[in-house]
Amino acid sequence: MTDYTLIGKRMPRMDSRAKVMGKALYTADLKLPGMLVGKILRSPHAHAKIVGIDTSKALALPGVKAVVTGADTEGVKWGVFAYTRDQQFIQTEKVRYIGDEVAGVAAVDEETALAALDFIHVEYEVLPAVFDPMTAMTTDAEPIHAEFPNNINIHVNIDTGSVDENFKKAYYIREDTFTAPEESYFHGEPYAVAARFDYDDCLEIWMPNGGPHMKSKPLSNAFKIPLHKVKVKKITIGGAFGGRSEICPADYICALLAKKTGRPVKIVFTREENTIGTRQGHAMITTHKTGVDKEGRVLARETTCYMDGGAYSSTGPIATSVPFLSMEQAYRMESVRYNGYRIYTNKPIRGMIRVHGRGFACGLDTQLDMIAQHLGIDPVEMRLRNSRQPGEFTSTGSQVWSCAMDETIKKAAAAANWQDKFGKLPPFHGIGIGTNSVQTGFPMGIRGGSQSFVKFNEDGEATVMSGVVDNGQGNENMLVQIAAEELGLLPEDIHLVSADTETTSSDPGSYSQVSTFVGGQAVKNAAANCRQKLFDVAAKILKADPGKLTAKNRMIYVTDDPKKAVSIKKTVRVALLNFTSVNAEGGYWPRVDMKREWVSNPYGQMCEAFSFGTTIIEVKVDPDTGQVTVLNAVACQDVGKALNPLVLEGQFEGSVAMGGQGGMLTEYHDWQEGRCLNPTMLEYKVPLACDMPEITGIIVESVDPRGPYGAKEAGMSIAMSAAQAYAGAVSNAIGVYMDSFPLTPDKIVAAIREKRQAGK
Amino acid sequence: MQTIDITLTVNDHQQIIPVKPNDTLLEVVRDYLDLTGSKEGCGEGVCGSCTVILDGHPVRACLTLALEANGSAVTTVEGLADGDTLTLLQQSFIDHGAVQCGFCTPGMLMSAKALLDEDSSPDRQKIRQALSGNICRCTGYAKIVDAVEHAARPEPGCPDCHTKETGGDHD
Repeated sequence: MTDYTLIGKRMPRMDSRAKVMGKALYTADLKLPGMLVGKILRSPHAHAKIVGIDTSKALALPGVKAVVTGADTEGVKWGVFAYTRDQQFIQTEKVRYIGDEVAGVAAVDEETALAALDFIHVEYEVLPAVFDPMTAMTTDAEPIHAEFPNNINIHVNIDTGSVDENFKKAYYIREDTFTAPEESYFHGEPYAVAARFDYDDCLEIWMPNGGPHMKSKPLSNAFKIPLHKVKVKKITIGGAFGGRSEICPADYICALLAKKTGRPVKIVFTREENTIGTRQGHAMITTHKTGVDKEGRVLARETTCYMDGGAYSSTGPIATSVPFLSMEQAYRMESVRYNGYRIYTNKPIRGMIRVHGRGFACGLDTQLDMIAQHLGIDPVEMRLRNSRQPGEFTSTGSQVWSCAMDETIKKAAAAANWQDKFGKLPPFHGIGIGTNSVQTGFPMGIRGGSQSFVKFNEDGEATVMSGVVDNGQGNENMLVQIAAEELGLLPEDIHLVSADTETTSSDPGSYSQVSTFVGGQAVKNAAANCRQKLFDVAAKILKADPGKLTAKNRMIYVTDDPKKAVSIKKTVRVALLNFTSVNAEGGYWPRVDMKREWVSNPYGQMCEAFSFGTTIIEVKVDPDTGQVTVLNAVACQDVGKALNPLVLEGQFEGSVAMGGQGGMLTEYHDWQEGRCLNPTMLEYKVPLACDMPEITGIIVESVDPRGPYGAKEAGMSIAMSAAQAYAGAVSNAIGVYMDSFPLTPDKIVAAIREKRQAGK
Repeated sequence: MQTIDITLTVNDHQQIIPVKPNDTLLEVVRDYLDLTGSKEGCGEGVCGSCTVILDGHPVRACLTLALEANGSAVTTVEGLADGDTLTLLQQSFIDHGAVQCGFCTPGMLMSAKALLDEDSSPDRQKIRQALSGNICRCTGYAKIVDAVEHAARPEPGCPDCHTKETGGDHD
C-alpha cells in the first residue's frame, strides 16, 4: 500500500491548538493542593569533602516543612550502565563540581525556601580541583572518584586492523588537532519537577523527560519501591535536544521532599540552574590522522579524542562513542583506529546533545577539505569519493540497508550552485559543505522495544496508548497520524494516551532518535492488528473475504467493490454485541546485535537504519570585525520516508539554527576555576530571528526497508552537517582552515591577521 | 509583606488585585490569575516567553512590576481567541507548523500581534526584527516568520495557507 491517506501529507500538528491558546500545561504551570516550593542547595566548591551539615537553623525557620540531605537517602548511585553508577542524587562524602547537590528544602513559599538555603550550614574541606582533561589525567591530586586513579572514566577503543599497513600505502597523510568547548541546550523551558505520594504510597511525578520509562526505573531504584509505584505522568515538554533523557537529581530530591512532608512539592530551576544542574555537551580535543590515495580516497584513519567528562559518568560510554560512530557511518573508513577517552573533571555533568561532537565532526570535514585542496579535488567530489553506499557495512560492523548519501550531496550542491561558487566567490565570501549520518537507535537492552495498545470505543473512535514522549518535535502527531492511517479513521477520532508509565508499556523514549522507528512502528503494528479484528467482523457483515477489505475515512469497504461498505462505528458495535474484542496490541523490537556493548564489544549491528544529511552554507565575513553573515543555507537529508513534510521541514530549520548558526558561530561556555561564566541567556548567545538565513530544505527518500512506511531518523543529520558546513564556509571565506570551534569573531579576526602577517 | 490593591484590565476583564510591591506582572498573571500561558524562560528579560501586551505595547512581564501596570489593560495569550474561535494569527501558527515545543509560542504570538496591530503587512525583514526579542530553540524561526507573514496576507502558492482541515484530504 503506497496510496496513503495521511502519511506523507503536510499535516498541521494536533497538539498545536492547546499551545497557541496558552492552555498547554508545562511542569512549572502545575498547581496541586497544598503544594510546597522546593529549592536545592548546591556546592560552591569545585571539589571538597563534606565535613558536616547542620540543618537545624533552616528547620527552625517558620514555613520550612522539610530539609533533606544525603543522610535521608538510601545512598543509591545513578548511572545509565552498571559500570557508570557514580553519582548520588544528594552528595554525602564530597562534592565534585560547583553546583553539585548538597541538600533540598521544602517550604510554603519561594522566599522562605530560599532563605532556608542560607541557614543550612555545610562545613567543607576544599580539595585541589582539575578543570581540563589533560591536567586531570596527569595530576597527583586526589582523584575525583577513588576508583579512577588517573580520572579516566571511559576508554573506547575501536580498531578494525590494518591501520598501520594502510598508512604505509597512503599517497598523502595529514594529522590535525581540533578543539571545541562545551555547549548547552538552552531549552525554552527551564527544568522543573513536581512530585507527590498518593494515598497508595505511589510516587506521582511530572517533569520534562526524554522518556518516562527512563525516569521511572532510577526512581524505583533510589526509593527501593516497585516500578508500578512510580507514576511518571504526562506533561507538555519545552524541548529536550538530548538533555532530558536521564534522571535529574532534582527529580529524586523533589520526590524525597514530598515523601518527607506528605505534601506535593514543586522545584522550578532558574535559567542558571538549567545550565549548571541538568546537563551540557562535552568539550573535546580531537586529533584526526588521515591517509589517502592519489584520488583522495581514505585508506587509513586514526582518531584520538579527549573529552571533558565533568564530575560524573552516566551516559559516558555512549557520549564517548557517538561522535566517532556518526563519522564512520557517513564516510567509508574500513581501516580505522579510534581511541576515545572521557576524563573526569570538576565541572558540571555532561550528557548527550543534539550536535554531539561538533569539534570532532567539523575537524574531520575540515581535514577532508585540506586534503582535497592539496590534491586539487573539489570538496563535493572529495565527499562523493568517500561517502557511504547502500548495502555496505560500517567499520564497526553495522549493515546499512538504506542510504542515499550521494543523492543528498548532489542535490544540495545543485541547489546551492556549488559549481558556480566554489573557488569563484569574491574575497571574504565562502561556501562550505558538511555531511553526516545519525543512527536511528542504539542497542538499549531491556528498554529497546516499544509496545502499544489500541482500543476502539463504542462510538467508533479509538484510544491509542504508547510510551513515546513528545519533547516538541511532533511525536504525538506522528503517532496519531500513523494510527489514523492504519485504522481508517480521521486524526480527530484518535485519542492518544502517551508518555505515562502507569498506563503505557515500556518504550525507549525519544532518546537515540528512535521514536518513529520503534515507537511509531509499535503503534502501526498495534493498529494493524486492531484493524484486522474489525475486518473479521466486517467481513461477516459484508459477506466478503477479510483479507480483501480496506479501512478509510471511517468506513470499511471491499477493496475491489467500494460500494460494499460498512461504517467502522457499526462494525465496532456489532463486534461488542457479539462478545468480540475490539482491542489489540502490537510492538516493535529493533533487530540489533544485543552483544554489542559500548566499551567491551563495540562491534555488531548498532541499529537498523541510519540517516544521511548534507548541508551547504554560503557566508560573507567582515574581515575587520569577524562578523559572519549567512547568505544561503541548503539542508538536504535522506529521511527514508517523510511522514509529514511540514514537521520535517521544521526539524531541518531548527537543526540549522542550533547546529550551525548557534553551534558554529556563537555558542560555547566560558569558565573560571570550574565556574561557568555564561550560564544565562543574556551571556550565552543563541540565534535570534534576525540572525537566521532563509533555509532551503530538500527531502530525499530512500524508503528504508525496515522503517515504518520507510521512515528513519529525521533532522539530526542536518544539525550535525550544518555545523560542518558553517565551519567549512568560514574557512573558505577567510582562506584559513580553522581548528578551534565555534568560529567566534575574535578567532576569525586573529586568523585573518595571522595570515596577513605570514604573507608579509 | 503588605499588599497594595491595583486595578488591572486583563483580557477585557477589569479586576482589583492585591499585589506585593515586588510582585512582577508575570507573577500576578501566572500565580494570582492562573493565566499560565505566559511563561518564564529566563527571568531577566531576554527570552521573551513572558511577553504580554500592556496598553497596546509588547512588554516583558518578568521585568514589569505589577504596580507599574496599575490602571492598565493587559492582553495575555489566553485573551487572543474568542472562545473556541482562534485568531488568524493563531490559526496561521498551527497551519504553518510554527509551533514545536510551544514554550516560546505565547510570547511569540504576543510580539507578532503587536507588530501586526501596528503594520498589517510587514515584510519578512521587519517580522524578523520584531520577533528578535523572542528566543525559539526548536524552529529556527523560519516557520514562525512564514506564519506571521501569511497571517494577514495569505501567500498564493504557499502549501500551508488556509489549511482548515487538519486531516489532509479525505476524498
